[in-house]
Amino acid sequence: MRKLVVCGLVILALVLTTALKAADKALQIEGSTTVGPICDAFTEAFNKTYPDIKITVTKNGSGNGAAALIDKRCDIAMMSRFMKLEEFTAAVDKGVMPVAHTIALDGVCMIVHPSNPVTELSIQQIHDIYIGKIKNWKELGGPDMPIVAISRDTSSGTYETFDNFVMKKVKMDAGIEYVSSNPQVHARVKTTPGAIGYVGIGFLDAEVKGLKVNGIMPSKETITNGTYSLSRPLFLFTNGFPELGSLSYNFCTFYLSEKGQEIINAKGFVPVTHY
Amino acid sequence: MPTADFKHQPLVLNYRQGLGNFLSLHIGRTILFLITCISVLSVLLIFFFIVRESLPFLQKFRLTEFLTNTGWYPQAEKPQFGALALIVGSFYVTITALLFSVPTGLLAAVFLSDIVSFKVQTIVKPVIELLAAIPSVAYGFFAVMVLAPWMQRKLGFTTGVNALNASFVLAVMALPTIVSVAQDSISAVGRELREASYGLGATRMETIFKVVIPAAHSGIIAAIILGMMRAVGETMVVWMASGNATRIPHPWWDLSGSIRTMTATIAGDMGETAKGCDHYRALFAIGLLLLVMTLCLNVLSEYFLAGAVKKTGTSK
Amino acid sequence: MKVIARSILDNIFTALTWAVVFIIVILLLLILGPILSRGTNAVVFRDTIEFRKMQMSLFNRGTEAKLTAEISEIAPVRQKAYDAIDKFKSGIDTESLTEQVRKIYRDCGQELSYKELTPQQYTEIRSSLKEIRDRLQTAFASTDKAKIAECIGFVMGYADDERFKGTSAGDFFRIAGDFQKSAEKIDLAKHRQYIAAADEMEDLLTLLLGPPPGKSLPATAMNQFGATRWDLAEKLMDNLLWKEQWVPQQEGKFLVKIRTERAKEFAGTEIEPLFDYIKNNLEKMLKPKWQFYWQYFIDDSTPGHYFGGVGPEILGTLLLTLLSMLFVIPFGIVSAAYLAECASDNLVIKIIRMCINSLAGVPSIIFGLFGLAFFVLFLLPAFGFVSKPCILTASLTLSILTLPVMIRASEEAIKAVPFTYKEASLALGASKFKTFMSVTLPAAMPGILTGIILSLSRVAGETAPILFTGAVALGPLPSSIFHTTRTLSYGSYDMAVGDRLAAMVPHNQYGMVATLVLLVLCLNTSAIILRSRLFKKLHGH
Repeated sequence: MRKLVVCGLVILALVLTTALKAADKALQIEGSTTVGPICDAFTEAFNKTYPDIKITVTKNGSGNGAAALIDKRCDIAMMSRFMKLEEFTAAVDKGVMPVAHTIALDGVCMIVHPSNPVTELSIQQIHDIYIGKIKNWKELGGPDMPIVAISRDTSSGTYETFDNFVMKKVKMDAGIEYVSSNPQVHARVKTTPGAIGYVGIGFLDAEVKGLKVNGIMPSKETITNGTYSLSRPLFLFTNGFPELGSLSYNFCTFYLSEKGQEIINAKGFVPVTHY
Repeated sequence: MPTADFKHQPLVLNYRQGLGNFLSLHIGRTILFLITCISVLSVLLIFFFIVRESLPFLQKFRLTEFLTNTGWYPQAEKPQFGALALIVGSFYVTITALLFSVPTGLLAAVFLSDIVSFKVQTIVKPVIELLAAIPSVAYGFFAVMVLAPWMQRKLGFTTGVNALNASFVLAVMALPTIVSVAQDSISAVGRELREASYGLGATRMETIFKVVIPAAHSGIIAAIILGMMRAVGETMVVWMASGNATRIPHPWWDLSGSIRTMTATIAGDMGETAKGCDHYRALFAIGLLLLVMTLCLNVLSEYFLAGAVKKTGTSK
Repeated sequence: MKVIARSILDNIFTALTWAVVFIIVILLLLILGPILSRGTNAVVFRDTIEFRKMQMSLFNRGTEAKLTAEISEIAPVRQKAYDAIDKFKSGIDTESLTEQVRKIYRDCGQELSYKELTPQQYTEIRSSLKEIRDRLQTAFASTDKAKIAECIGFVMGYADDERFKGTSAGDFFRIAGDFQKSAEKIDLAKHRQYIAAADEMEDLLTLLLGPPPGKSLPATAMNQFGATRWDLAEKLMDNLLWKEQWVPQQEGKFLVKIRTERAKEFAGTEIEPLFDYIKNNLEKMLKPKWQFYWQYFIDDSTPGHYFGGVGPEILGTLLLTLLSMLFVIPFGIVSAAYLAECASDNLVIKIIRMCINSLAGVPSIIFGLFGLAFFVLFLLPAFGFVSKPCILTASLTLSILTLPVMIRASEEAIKAVPFTYKEASLALGASKFKTFMSVTLPAAMPGILTGIILSLSRVAGETAPILFTGAVALGPLPSSIFHTTRTLSYGSYDMAVGDRLAAMVPHNQYGMVATLVLLVLCLNTSAIILRSRLFKKLHGH
């Protein structure tokens, strides 16, 4: 009995002392699951040069990132869409001046299982699939298999881009499967022959098949020169411009360096500059 | 000689006790009572906070629309918060899970209480309890990584994560609860009933079905309700394995398509929702619905368990 | 019904119940089997030299000298493979050759400007260099072997020229020679195909053996090493030797996966023997060895859990569970003591019991919502802290989750203490409180301990309550209880569905779930053993 009490007190003491230890220089980054992998890799690179800095990357959607920046709960908000008017006004009301840094370019790609013979779709066809008008692949020249459409109906920036260019504010069909992140869409499409989904170009790899949209295949060239219609920039938002030389500043300008570009390329996105 | 009554201390001071003793005794007891009330406080707080967060939503959008509309479009231009598809989804997986687990559970309970000796019981019971010990995330892992590909490959389903997958795994999770509660109540049926039945020449199966189970019926119903509560409240398995499509299955018996439950909606949406917006409050409203449902089921199960106690005269 | 029919039915029924229990046991094995067996793959496996290199570089493990010796031993074997591809590519990659040639011309120009030459000599040399460069470019761009031979012949004519000795112009001739050799062997019309295929080969070889020595290391740890496990290496080699393509069979039908030998693509070129070479020498190039990676349980992991172990997750789970136990044990035991000892059966107590039972029935996600609404958004700001999820809020949520379990188990344990113990103590003159503390509680301790262990195992496995109150999938080690943490439960969920890199390392996926399951099972088995021993002790079996 006494031993238990002593153990409990020891644990309590440990816990309290760790609580009192000042939170040393830390960087809180929150937001989009699309930009997430880039920031994870940046964090890894940073941890080598600044080993005692704690960088936390929380991927919970562009909307949450914006909200966290407005509430000053994070230092950098990752967003795969630009801030909405309401978010801007809320920020200004709270004394936060959002500044956007474009760190990479992205395209929203339509992906299907590699065994699917369909190679291209028009935006209208994609729209019809997602409102439930087209239900079977044979209507699109494919095999007789029901279409399993996968979407992200959340405050995700990827969803917003998709909604902007394809759905155009029309509600999706009820039978659409909903997943909560880019990797999940990739995993579902990879394992289900009848599936179709949309991901950022960073998630287009050999395990899934990318479709041409309106005749254009998403690639680094077509996104940079704007011919691929479903393209968008990826942002890091900060409260005002970060102080020159601070950790925030280094993080937000890392994409300009050769290493940063290498990382962006490795993750499959399109760097803004080219070495 | 009357045994000392430990529960009721005399209010009047005993000549051996001093004022200090008296005070410390009663103050001590009051403190203990207050600490015990923390559990009451917790339930009240849970209810209060969930209601508090969901009330603005319920005031803004009508309750009937919330309960009867099937369109769940929280991020659309004009958001629609119809939770019917989610309620039906929870209903589907729960009922199907019970369809799998109730017969199996009852048979296993009968096995443990009537058919085998105590020695075998001590071996089999831990095995079933092991099923209860496995964390729900491991069940979800199994459902997604092992069961879903198997369903797609061997059974030819369009998608491996669907209502059937989730129901099956939920059935396995509810099984230990049903088995243990049912077995307790079946064992609590007095020997006399069984012996009388055997004395009249009934076989074991007839005794079980015609005498024991009816005698233990309230306990068994309580077991089913507890299993139902487990299935309704489970989150991780349905989030990972049900596909999450906000729809009502079209031919009502078609379980091979994805559905979405209330718990999966809360878990899946909450991470990416901005705190304080309508969507966030709608999720709390779903939580309130879930809470009310499980509390009702809880009260029901308590009633049936109390009935079982009355009948057989033993606790639990 | 006839007696015989009834007894047959009875036997069928008995067999049915046996079958059902048998099925349940099979289900248990079916669920635990793959998880535990594939999970052990994360700890016991055949590793390669790349694994040991990674351990040295990321975790500082292993003897430096031995590692360097091994690396130098295998370097020549690997170098042959790298060289073969490099040579092949340099022979045909006309785009990069053109770039190289242009660069050499520029460099030569720079060198010339440092030499002391008259303007006339300078222009003369420069124009010769320009001519050489242009001829090479024509050669690279053309697909006519005769033309190529003519251009190269022209260039090689300058090979012995005095003016170019000792300058970068020497590279012109080396490139020309290599190109001529490879141009003779390959079908130039297909050279674009060859380049694409050779690029693919190079990528695959890098995946298998790591980046070639001498090149700068990539930024992410994942790409700095080759295949770290032998099973992964074999899979990659299979990928290298066989190309899988989705090929249309019929109009409008599914594409079919076809495997073709990659060597056939390069038939007749000098790179063809490379495939057999790799197949036969893979073991020499990677040096596989059986490894018992017990540090899996204490190592940190790289993003995506590509390398490393589940150390932070285990730490996070332990922190959460211990902290929540710290909160719940005192309250649970005290409440149980009150209910068992002092409570009479009146309305208030009935309400309390009903509330405890309701608490037990609340779904886990509701606890998560409550934790978010109360602990994170209400309580933290009320005490002046920043309102964000952290270990503290997560453990508080978990402690409320296990409160009913704790109260029930403790109450049963206290009630199970034989009456005679209490009577004896009171007869000796001890007060009620002293009796409880010195006699009842120690006697009930094993039962309470069982309850604690069961609560621990429940809390360790819970995911839903900590989803938005303190768990993250990726993050640093928590430095205080006001930070978020990774846990085994949330990590398993994330690895199973949420992470693309995780799918490339299935052993890590299963490893994390297996660790969680093992932890929970160990706790449960110890509780069961404790309980059966306690049962024997108190009931004298």
